[in-house]
Amino acid sequence: MSTVDYTRELSVLEGKHALRELDDLIAKPLEIKPDKKFYIALAIALSMTGLLVLGLALTFYYGIGMWGNNIPVGWAFDIVNFVFWVGIGHAGTLISAILFLFRQKWRTGIARFAEGMTVFAVMTAGLFPLIHVGRPWLAGYLFPYPNQHSVWVNFTSPLLWDVFAVSTYLTVSLIFWYVGLIPDLAILRERTNHKIKKVIYSTFSLGWRFSNRHWQHYEMVYLILAGFATPLVLSVHTIVSFDFAVSVIPGWHTTIFPPYFVAGAVFSGFAMVQNVLIIVRKIFNYEQIITVDTLEKMNKIMLLTGSMVGYAYAMEFFISWYSGVEAERFVFLNRALGPYAWAYWIMVTCNVVSPQLFWFKKIRRTIPVMFVIAIFVNIGMWFERFVIIVTSLSRDFLPSSWAYYKPTLVDGMILIGSFGFFFTWILLFTKALPVVSMAEVKAVVDGAQPTHKDH
Amino acid sequence: MISSSVEYQKKELPSKVQTIGLGLLLVGLLIVVLGYVVNPERSAYNNIIGLTFLISIAVGSLFFVAIEFLSGAAWSTPFRRVGEFLSSTVWILPLLFIPLLLNVNTIFQWTHPAPADKTLIDKAPYLNVSFFVVRVIGFWLLWLLFYYLMIRNSRKQDQTKDQHLTKKNIKLSAIFMPLFALTISFTAIDWLMSIEPHWFSTIFGVYYFSGTILAALAIGAIFIVLLNERGFFVKGIHTDSYYSLGALIFAFTNFWAYIAFSQFLLIWYANLPEETFWFLARWEGNWKFFSVGLIIVHFLVPYIGLLSQPSKMNPKRLIFMSGWILFAHYYDLYWLVMPNFFKEEIPFSWIELGFPLLIAGLIILVFYYQAKRNNLVPIGDPKLKRGIDFRL
Amino acid sequence: MSEKILYSYTGIFDTPDEVTHAAEEAVKQGYTKYDVNTPYPLHGMNKAMNLPPSKLGYVALIFGLSGALGGLLSLWWVSAIDYPLVIGGKPFFSFPAYIPVIFEVTVLSAAIATVLAMLFFFFKLPNNAHPLHATDYMKKVSVDKYGIVIQADDPKFDEASVRKFLERVHAKEINAVYWVEEEITHKHKIFEPKFLTFLLVVVIITSGTTYFSLNKLMFMLPFNWMMEQQKQNPQQKSLVFADGFGMRKPVEGTIARGFLPYEFQGQPDLAGEKLINPIPISKESLQLGQTKYDIYCSPCHGYQGEGDSRLRGQFPNPPSLHSEKVRTWSDGRIFAVLTDGQNIMPSYSTQLTVDERWTVINYVRALQRALNAKESDLQ
Repeated sequence: MSTVDYTRELSVLEGKHALRELDDLIAKPLEIKPDKKFYIALAIALSMTGLLVLGLALTFYYGIGMWGNNIPVGWAFDIVNFVFWVGIGHAGTLISAILFLFRQKWRTGIARFAEGMTVFAVMTAGLFPLIHVGRPWLAGYLFPYPNQHSVWVNFTSPLLWDVFAVSTYLTVSLIFWYVGLIPDLAILRERTNHKIKKVIYSTFSLGWRFSNRHWQHYEMVYLILAGFATPLVLSVHTIVSFDFAVSVIPGWHTTIFPPYFVAGAVFSGFAMVQNVLIIVRKIFNYEQIITVDTLEKMNKIMLLTGSMVGYAYAMEFFISWYSGVEAERFVFLNRALGPYAWAYWIMVTCNVVSPQLFWFKKIRRTIPVMFVIAIFVNIGMWFERFVIIVTSLSRDFLPSSWAYYKPTLVDGMILIGSFGFFFTWILLFTKALPVVSMAEVKAVVDGAQPTHKDH
Repeated sequence: MISSSVEYQKKELPSKVQTIGLGLLLVGLLIVVLGYVVNPERSAYNNIIGLTFLISIAVGSLFFVAIEFLSGAAWSTPFRRVGEFLSSTVWILPLLFIPLLLNVNTIFQWTHPAPADKTLIDKAPYLNVSFFVVRVIGFWLLWLLFYYLMIRNSRKQDQTKDQHLTKKNIKLSAIFMPLFALTISFTAIDWLMSIEPHWFSTIFGVYYFSGTILAALAIGAIFIVLLNERGFFVKGIHTDSYYSLGALIFAFTNFWAYIAFSQFLLIWYANLPEETFWFLARWEGNWKFFSVGLIIVHFLVPYIGLLSQPSKMNPKRLIFMSGWILFAHYYDLYWLVMPNFFKEEIPFSWIELGFPLLIAGLIILVFYYQAKRNNLVPIGDPKLKRGIDFRL
Repeated sequence: MSEKILYSYTGIFDTPDEVTHAAEEAVKQGYTKYDVNTPYPLHGMNKAMNLPPSKLGYVALIFGLSGALGGLLSLWWVSAIDYPLVIGGKPFFSFPAYIPVIFEVTVLSAAIATVLAMLFFFFKLPNNAHPLHATDYMKKVSVDKYGIVIQADDPKFDEASVRKFLERVHAKEINAVYWVEEEITHKHKIFEPKFLTFLLVVVIITSGTTYFSLNKLMFMLPFNWMMEQQKQNPQQKSLVFADGFGMRKPVEGTIARGFLPYEFQGQPDLAGEKLINPIPISKESLQLGQTKYDIYCSPCHGYQGEGDSRLRGQFPNPPSLHSEKVRTWSDGRIFAVLTDGQNIMPSYSTQLTVDERWTVINYVRALQRALNAKESDLQ
């Protein structure tokens, strides 16, 4: 028996809510003192960040010889992590911009959190190119400014495009996030009686007064920003893919890379957002705001993007044979059967096979199962970048220089530490700002909008 | 039930439509037959363009029907029949591919590779006539099957108003999606990429897909706006629905540009001889202007034309831009096919006009007969009322 | 306390439908200075309030286009004019490779400009001194009520009629909102001591950190490790050799690669006899000779070798190279001058390699020939 009634639009929230209750629920974490669990979580995240600091200190003091990178594998964990974290950062803008343009109302419950994750993930990602250059304190030269050496940057290099793309992305994401936060900060300003909080909220809400003369422009700006952020989010991972694809290295130079990277980024980003949200909705009792329906929709998007990634793997494999180019054929066979076959098959299992379980409605709606699948997806997407970067480099055109790359302890410390860094920000965010947009959620409650009457 | 509150009075299309369709069809057919007599090779090349164009419209429309079910979109439900009628052109695809299958040797170099051409001989397991025919017919049957199943459910719903049928179609659409992705990619590889069998590009399937979507959207938009302005659908549809349509066309215009640019940039930048020769063939002699024209025709004009919000809601503008995009898709296919056969010179004469006229006539006629036999609005669809009430 | 100045009347509603209706009525009444406050944007409110479409799209368009154009121009100037480098065999102006950066610059400028324009020009924010702030009205409309404000400076404003109007549209709580006196009378002063102190602190902190990081930090461990390389620098003490000298003489009986000792030190005439010019005359060698001559010789001898450089008269006059003496000198004799120097002319052996010296001599010969052409040269 069909349980869905297609004549009605599904409500975004479960149950009936008074608008005031929603405000209370969302603002609650900001108004109570953090409990013990929070401090334990923060301690864990901070100690992982400590590993990052230690790894970086060792790297800066002794140089990047502390890492496993060596010719021919000159790019390894550093770039793998960079691409991985930038990819994670794609879900936020996708949810807030693309789903906004498609008028998917279910995005309201998760948009704010996902945008926050975007900002933190891009910050984490930004660490890696900086440490990868070896002397991060000289990174200012990446920006084109008239300097005393009369030297300009190389505008035709995809690595420089990255500088522009990632910094633009971070800036625009922050702006987008802040614009969305203004009404919520004003709500908090009206709620609080605490003197210091009042000053802070007043300052950052800029004196917002919920005027409809403002809302009109505000909605326009939101639309414009979404219109800009959508191609921007595509461009960022496209440009990351150009880092590889404009070269002539077999396995890197393939024209499907741009859309394939974007699909992969959205895929891993959604997996990460889903993982974190499952925990957040449990801890803060947001089950009725971040509903199982919403999670199911996210799982569908994971199924879609996962299949797109699978399509790209298959197409790459087919065309490598079809091209008739010996180096291409070798590289792809080497991926599947060579020394890094273990990584390749982890990637295929996690990225292509595991999301196919989402074909089943039951699995799409069972929280523990989807949680595990999303973790698999993240593992798989990390290995995807590993496979692309390391296998192609370790078997370059000169067989005499072939080598097997092995990461070092410091590599591992930095990888684990980057998770600590990311989660530290997330934890602080949950206590500093409303993790769900109050104004937006209230706008999609049943009965919150005027009934349509054509006059 | 809410859907019963929708009032729909079926109106017949004016018979003028039939006359126009028949006229175009006959003129087109005459030119095509004459073309095949006078210059069979060149006609065959045009035939490829015509075939891939019709596949774009037929299979692309089917894709939109499926996408509507899958995404649960309501705004497009009142117009879904347009997509269904257009996708019934799947039936007439053999009309265009059978003459080509009889002529594989003239159009495809890989059917008879030179003995010294190691690469082509190497590709024989994929590029051989019998497997090619199997693929072409197999893909066609697959499309036909899904067309038949989904449209049958949709029509049954007009009578029964059964919500189960929507659910069934959602499942069918989900299964159709991966099959669609694969068949459309390999169609692109078979009919368009393998004309130059030494060339390869992994994004090529996506490139053709982006054009397919645009063409299907554009032709759908033309029919939807024309019919809606004349009141063939139900009352109360707001221009906000046009906005959605215009926004989708605008989005896919950008998507096409993105894919086309990605393909070009990567090949241009890496500068490998086994890839660049394909673009160089499109950059020699007069083709240079044609290639620059592609950017203008396929991207700049529709981009500027549909950028502002009011322009997406303006029926006249929307029809004009949709017609333009159909032209642009044909232009794109011409750019993909012709430089493989004609070096440095752009061939254009009466022979090139045959297939566009023939296809236009076919589509109009098919639409006319479908509209005669079926409701123009899926009156049994549970989402119909929501679609009519759709506001931004 | 003086009389309070009225800002507006406010009315509160419970449902979105009511407030939409009230807005429509306000338009009908002909009020222009009124506003509707709702906790979130209401669909259809723009139409109800009869607001003109937002002009922010134009801001985005203008700044987007200028970003694109500015990006294109600066990329072109940097990579094709100011600092041209051949990269990957591409032309200096490679437009396809500029598209990514131009795109990012477009998005960045449009996004920032639109948001700033909205906040600071359209809304005139930040404004925490607005009379609606810190009212009960604001507390309610921020959460779950919908309010309408009719301002006192509206031309049609009249306390009694506005009150009546609000009652007619069934507003719940009708209140008057007054300006807060100190906020009206408050004047912003630029030369406030607090503000000046703040500026001073900012100046000290930024310049201090900049100075410290650029002039001190970069010269500390490990930031200066480029300078501390594990190699022997000139004049350094060596730990390897017993005598402690870092700089070593060549091992006896050896010479460095590409270095041939000059045998005729101080014996120019002998050199003129023994040395033979090994460089054949060719276009390339003459061009190299000209380049080197123009750099090293022309400052004194002049571009034509006539000793007519601008040094003439300020210095012992440099000799002409077209004198009978120099013309009859053998190549080897001139080589000796270039290598050892002569009179006030120093040795050029460190500036010019052996081969370069010979090409310079060839070029000097060409100059001499040009000034003393023979009949046969015309043929």
